[in-house]
Amino acid sequence: MKKEIAITAYKCKKCGKIHYPFHDRCLDCKGREFEKIKPEGNAKLLTFTTIFNLPWGFDQRYLVIGVVEFENKVKAMGQIKADSVDQLKIGMKVKPTWEPVRVQYGEDVYGLKFEPMK
Amino acid sequence: MRDVAIIGAGMIPFGRRDEDTLMDMLSYASLKALDDAGLGDKSVDAVYVANMGGGMLQHQSAIASSLVDRLSLLPAAAETIENGPASGASAVKNGLLAIASGYYDTILVVGGEKMREVTGWRATDFVATMTHPQAEYPYGITLPGMAGMFTRLYMEKYGVTREHLLAISLKNQEMGTLNPYAHVEMALDRGGIYDSPHAIVNNPVSADPLHLYDLCPVSDGAAALVLCTVEIAKKTGKPYVVIAGFGQATDTHTLAEREDPTDLKAVTLAAQQAFAMAKLKPSDVSVAELHDAFTILEIAESEHVGFFKKGEGGKAAVAGKTRLGGQIPINVSGGLKARGHPVGGTGVAQIVDIVWQLRHELPENRQVKNAEVGLTVNFGGFGNNVLCFILRRVQP
Amino acid sequence: MPVDMELEMVLRPPQIPMPPYPPKTITLANGKVMVIRQAVREDVPAILKSVHPCLFIERDYYDIVSARLYGELLAWYRYRVKSEYCLMGQVDGYLVGIVNGRLENEKVGMSYHTLAIDRGLRIGSHLFAAKMEYHMDYMGQDEVLIVAESPIGFRRWMIEYPLELTHIPHELGGGDSYRLTREIYLKAKQRLVVGDRPVSQALMDEAMLDIKFADDDTIRERIAGLKGR
Repeated sequence: MKKEIAITAYKCKKCGKIHYPFHDRCLDCKGREFEKIKPEGNAKLLTFTTIFNLPWGFDQRYLVIGVVEFENKVKAMGQIKADSVDQLKIGMKVKPTWEPVRVQYGEDVYGLKFEPMK
Repeated sequence: MRDVAIIGAGMIPFGRRDEDTLMDMLSYASLKALDDAGLGDKSVDAVYVANMGGGMLQHQSAIASSLVDRLSLLPAAAETIENGPASGASAVKNGLLAIASGYYDTILVVGGEKMREVTGWRATDFVATMTHPQAEYPYGITLPGMAGMFTRLYMEKYGVTREHLLAISLKNQEMGTLNPYAHVEMALDRGGIYDSPHAIVNNPVSADPLHLYDLCPVSDGAAALVLCTVEIAKKTGKPYVVIAGFGQATDTHTLAEREDPTDLKAVTLAAQQAFAMAKLKPSDVSVAELHDAFTILEIAESEHVGFFKKGEGGKAAVAGKTRLGGQIPINVSGGLKARGHPVGGTGVAQIVDIVWQLRHELPENRQVKNAEVGLTVNFGGFGNNVLCFILRRVQP
Repeated sequence: MPVDMELEMVLRPPQIPMPPYPPKTITLANGKVMVIRQAVREDVPAILKSVHPCLFIERDYYDIVSARLYGELLAWYRYRVKSEYCLMGQVDGYLVGIVNGRLENEKVGMSYHTLAIDRGLRIGSHLFAAKMEYHMDYMGQDEVLIVAESPIGFRRWMIEYPLELTHIPHELGGGDSYRLTREIYLKAKQRLVVGDRPVSQALMDEAMLDIKFADDDTIRERIAGLKGR
């Protein structure tokens, strides 16, 4: 079953700045009230890398990780479903999904994954 | 504010120090600095210990309390300062402010880390705990990974090439062979790590576009300084170093929230503050130790502190402008790349190297001639907490 | 002591014929050229001399790896093992690393050990790759069974290739073997197996003339010294 993307971003009620993750005061205007928003639509790939030499907790040879911007301007990090960075380009469209990103204490930990779009 | 001088500097060789505990290393470096300061069996007013991982890697807390006891510095005031890989410079800053305020006269600052006690996997995980616990860490991001994403953008925006990065690896590892304190004492060969088809195994991708030799090693090591008032320093009758300026600034925790991730705002601000306090400008600096945990950072920092225009740092390195004898020698010690990077110790070690430069006591093949002003950048997190120091030589 | 050859013939395991491993050279990160070539049985006493100082280095499991390697090479020298081979790396004539293994049968290889005497130059990676190259490209085997005795080995072999876990007991300790299949090998070959052939006569002469060994203290310093990476 496809899971809904479970991150929440925060739009400052005073100046409209979008934050992810949560801050107690707006990074621009210090406002303390936020509207909870969900990242919307597909996303644009801002930067990426393939990490070899992964930390403890990962048994695979490498992971492709990137930072994206959703259509409603929420920016977030996630894993990219690609075998190699040769398939990727800054600015390309990616489709977000909510899937297991690692295992901790024997349990799947869910997070953002992005699939490159043609 | 009173001026603050440095009269003692000491370091132990960085590397894999299996025989030594964290406390051993902190003690050895401290004794070297105390002896260098000529304090003999005298004490200091306070001790600041920079350490990032004692709690996680050695399962030890309250390290400063333990150190003053071991060094018989009781009842000196003591605290441990943890500020990620910028812990070292943070501890120096706290020492500086305490003396400048008039409260203390003599302070020992020591920074160290024991990272090789655990496997590379664990060490990578330990360093990654600096990243955002919900928005970054769970994805398997590492600091080299952050640097890889930064490098990709920096290359795209400023035309930095692998050739530029290579110039840093080659220069710093070459300088490391001359530094008896350096972790890595092996000069690299361009063919072996780049030109030859065998380079794919010798120098594989670590976090593209960064390769293995773009990264600093994981090190054990410690370094220490004795800070005091200028009055005390004058009494030594020897050349000493004053802290002419410092600056510190922070930036967003996550890389994603920076408007322009290639803009290392905290580096720019820290350097601006330091230059303003010192009433100096980048062209006044004779020698610099920049935080080259990744080769790209030496280039980016050399631009952000103002030595070169944005986009010119890599070309300057290729042209030899940052070598010994060049326009602005950078990381003559070998930098983090070769001296090594025991995270809590690095910020102190950088200043120890600059003190040696400014006292003109290094061998000819490492000494910047007539060095008068030195600069350091200690870069915490991925640029979210940065300190810059400007040091000046004083000839009594 | 005279050898009772009649009894010897009973005790000596039969050997599967092995084609020679053609020597190659690799340019290392420091620009030095390493010659990788096959050792002959008569080289064993000399090689053992440089394995010996490693027996007492606990760091990174050098003690267990070299103790086992010592025994394996001695067994080969004294005809007590079936179908064993040994490849070595030399720089300026000096021995910098050793790998060994054997054939379980014509199709299945058993990887033994990888000992890097000079560190920080990926000599272990290059030699392990040469070993896999020997099994796959020159002996035409289908698979090689492998276990790691150190975290570094695990990272280098199991993760970098990456190898597949089996439930086949390995000769070294009986734990579950990891397996390099021909398919995995061919996929990994391009990024892990390098080298130039043929080796120039001058380099080959230097390597063959004499296997040079650093003294015991130098070997220990290289492996376990402060600068060990």
